[in-house]
Amino acid sequence: MSASPDADEARRAHLNRILRRVAEGDEQAFSDFYKLTSSRVFAIVVRMTHDRSEAEDVLQNVYTNAWRRADTFHPERGSAMTWLVTLARNATIDRMRQRRESPLDEEQTAEIEDEAPTPEDVAQFSEERRRLEQCLEALDPKQGSAVREAFFSGATYAELAQRLRVPLGTMKSWIRRSLMQLKLCLER
Amino acid sequence: MNTPALSDDDLRCAEYALGVLDSDSRRALEREVLHNAALRATLDTWLARFAPLAEDLPGIEPPARVWTRVQRDLGFLPVPTKTPARGGWWNDVGLWRWFGIGASAAALVLLAVNLVTLRETQRTATVVAQDGYMVATIARSDGVAHWTATVDVRRARMVVVPAVHPQVAAGHSTELWLIPPGAKPVALGIVPTDAPASMPLSPRILAQMSTRAILAVSVEPQGGSPTGQPTGPVIATGMMHIA
Repeated sequence: MSASPDADEARRAHLNRILRRVAEGDEQAFSDFYKLTSSRVFAIVVRMTHDRSEAEDVLQNVYTNAWRRADTFHPERGSAMTWLVTLARNATIDRMRQRRESPLDEEQTAEIEDEAPTPEDVAQFSEERRRLEQCLEALDPKQGSAVREAFFSGATYAELAQRLRVPLGTMKSWIRRSLMQLKLCLER
Repeated sequence: MNTPALSDDDLRCAEYALGVLDSDSRRALEREVLHNAALRATLDTWLARFAPLAEDLPGIEPPARVWTRVQRDLGFLPVPTKTPARGGWWNDVGLWRWFGIGASAAALVLLAVNLVTLRETQRTATVVAQDGYMVATIARSDGVAHWTATVDVRRARMVVVPAVHPQVAAGHSTELWLIPPGAKPVALGIVPTDAPASMPLSPRILAQMSTRAILAVSVEPQGGSPTGQPTGPVIATGMMHIA
């Protein structure tokens, strides 16, 4: 079953309302917010850290921060889910940057995952996500997978270059060119 | 194929949203958007462009303990209720309370010991406990113990027990930090002033629990430091020791 745009919109509006109530200090709303979003957020953090126990620490931080900073959510600037995903990714990236001065070990280098979704996945996507997918697929395949890997891993340019075994300059120009093309495609 | 380049600001926001910038560049952009509405809007646009990618990952249900810890950190749960001593003495809250009370009296003695061992440990090589326990008496500068922390290295857990009831202004929390030698403080979480707290330690944190590491408690806004680094006064500190 494909998600209908109406259902997407209703879910988004619902979550926005809940987060507004969280900002007013409503503990029940916060509990609902956690129930609705925590498995998605946990998946993001686990994917980035590759470490369940660390991911639990990050998740705990993300939600205590979400409660404290709920008043920084403005629906006109983006959805509640975008706000939360940003909070979670930022917390994870900051933590990884703090400690990841050492180069990636072999094990990590070996496990580059193929992130491109299957047609079945695409059928489940929201309209926004489908649109982004069309634009990602229009990129050169290697560059497209570098962009996906960057998002899901939270790695720096240098780490990505090492992981995908290309020179740093090449990685930078791949990503920068892809960003430009994505912008043009998404604004079309 | 030739593609026109993004403007500098557009590029930085895109790179931030994708997650490829280093810490310094990230902080710089975060500061700038505070007083640059146009840049803020550009960043929001890029964040919204990439956020839908998160839909690709199948959800993973986090363990229930995470929600319990969130509620505890935020003060929604009163005092951790008496837990049955299932895991033996380690989980016996009564024992820890008793130990906490004794700790304050022992603090003056420990202070002297601390000063000696401090010099000792600076001379000797850093020791990271492979197994067993590490302890720290987290005391005020006058030596009065405020908390005692005991790390069970094998189980990767730490129990923090208030020795006295430190007074903290309303609307504030006491946050515990690990300060490894030559490194920035690492947040370990909010510690209650009136109840023992038990927390898991990630392997990375555990690896930094050496005899040269310091535990410190700072006063932070309710819920903890907004920045990830201590923002309020440090009210008590203690060195880690092998128990």
